[in-house]
Amino acid sequence: MTKASSDLYSPISDETGLFILKETCMNATRKTLAFDTLLIHGGLEAGPGGATTVPIVQSSAFAHATAEELEDIFRGRKIGQVYTRIGNPTTESLEKRLALLEGGVAAIATASGMAAITTAVTTVVCSGDEILASSSLFGGTFSLLRDTLSNFGITTRFVDPTDLEAVRSGINDRTRLIFLETVGNPKLDVPDIPAIAAIARNAGIPLMVDATVTTPYLARGGDLGADIVVHSTSKYINGTGSAIGGAIVDLGRFDWGSTLFPHFEPFVKKYRQFAFTARCRKLIHKDFGACAAPMNSFLLSEGVETLALRMERHCANALQLARFLAAHPAVDWVNYPGLEESPYHEVAGRLYGGKYGGLLTFGVADKAAAFRFINGLRLARNLANIGDAKTLVIHPASTICCDYNPEEWALMGVSNELVRVSVGLEAIDDILEDFGEALDNLYQRGEQS
Amino acid sequence: MNLTVNGKPATIEGRDALNVSGLLVALQVDQPEYVTVELNGEILERETFDTTPVKPGDSVEFLYFMGGGA
Repeated sequence: MTKASSDLYSPISDETGLFILKETCMNATRKTLAFDTLLIHGGLEAGPGGATTVPIVQSSAFAHATAEELEDIFRGRKIGQVYTRIGNPTTESLEKRLALLEGGVAAIATASGMAAITTAVTTVVCSGDEILASSSLFGGTFSLLRDTLSNFGITTRFVDPTDLEAVRSGINDRTRLIFLETVGNPKLDVPDIPAIAAIARNAGIPLMVDATVTTPYLARGGDLGADIVVHSTSKYINGTGSAIGGAIVDLGRFDWGSTLFPHFEPFVKKYRQFAFTARCRKLIHKDFGACAAPMNSFLLSEGVETLALRMERHCANALQLARFLAAHPAVDWVNYPGLEESPYHEVAGRLYGGKYGGLLTFGVADKAAAFRFINGLRLARNLANIGDAKTLVIHPASTICCDYNPEEWALMGVSNELVRVSVGLEAIDDILEDFGEALDNLYQRGEQS
Repeated sequence: MNLTVNGKPATIEGRDALNVSGLLVALQVDQPEYVTVELNGEILERETFDTTPVKPGDSVEFLYFMGGGA
């Protein structure tokens, strides 16, 4: 009989990015599992009665037989559940799966992607510290770093992440964290993360990477050289736009015992390579309380299993749509790292295995034309999200970036004529027909450049 | 062997000598890959679990970063 527990698939990563499967049957053998198989079986906790999905444990708190047992759990002497804000069996199952997929030592699931970023960043930095961040971040993250955290004495210096010299010279004696997106949203710039990881290592500061757009399917955080990976799991991990969630994955290799991080001292002493996760879970995550809901953890766990197939289709459809748009007379320009003319084509190809993700942007004549295009679509949905099975469009300048001025738009790669597309999983012919008809209407009105 | 484990008396039957890794097995410690071990007030490096002996009368504490803490 096969043992139905999480230690069936052990998170022992090897140099090739594969994992070792520990067979617990009588004739024990060891073999490697491909990433796509790990997505389905890795870290999966079997449910009661032979259930093959993780149970939704919809309980606020957890009872224990004796006062002594609960004391032991509270004191950290024993593993156990106490209260869903701190931990929950459904959420714990998701956390194990995500840690395994990123090649990390531990993960913490949160209520949203922004909750993950807020929790992870404030685990690292204190008042008086500086963050060096990409200037092309998602608007919510930009706002958190520039506006919200500055109210707590944490300042952020923004630099072009594709300019390695700007990154290097942006570090000063107060810098305690470098924060990047694997692919900037919506600028779609692609930083050379291994090169920036080397700069971070030389400076003795950690590199935190938001890998929402690429997912561990295109590249695992550990392989890129990140120390901490954060995700909005609401996007490609979920895959159907049915749940909001976030995740923090600790790669367990940064030296938090450095004198730059005295606030980690008690956690390094007790928890060694788990120091980041320990400080995060036992202090920041517990106190901020942005916990994952068990139902959402279930939905996100379901999404993990189909990530490989979906990302293949997202990438293939996006490339075909990008080529189609580039050839349409109503389109001024197309920004997609998968196009050979993209300035990010080489680095994206090198880091992400020849796959370029499901996001693209393109420009039409002006804002009015962009609105008419969006209003002319019949299949694609006009909404503020990415990573759904459905093709999604949005006009960022008037929506997700409406609080910023044109100078800030330029940093984010946003302009009035820009439309962002999250290319879905529909048959590509239907997507091309939908976009073609809406663009033909612009062309016939003479709104081409 | 008589020990104090997490502040309580504990007996390891039939064993007069074992190392910390052996103790984790003998006590069936949950998720040993995540546990921190404090032996007589000193936190041990994970790499020394196989080579650090446990002796009668020792005091051992197991610590996790996962549960509790509220």
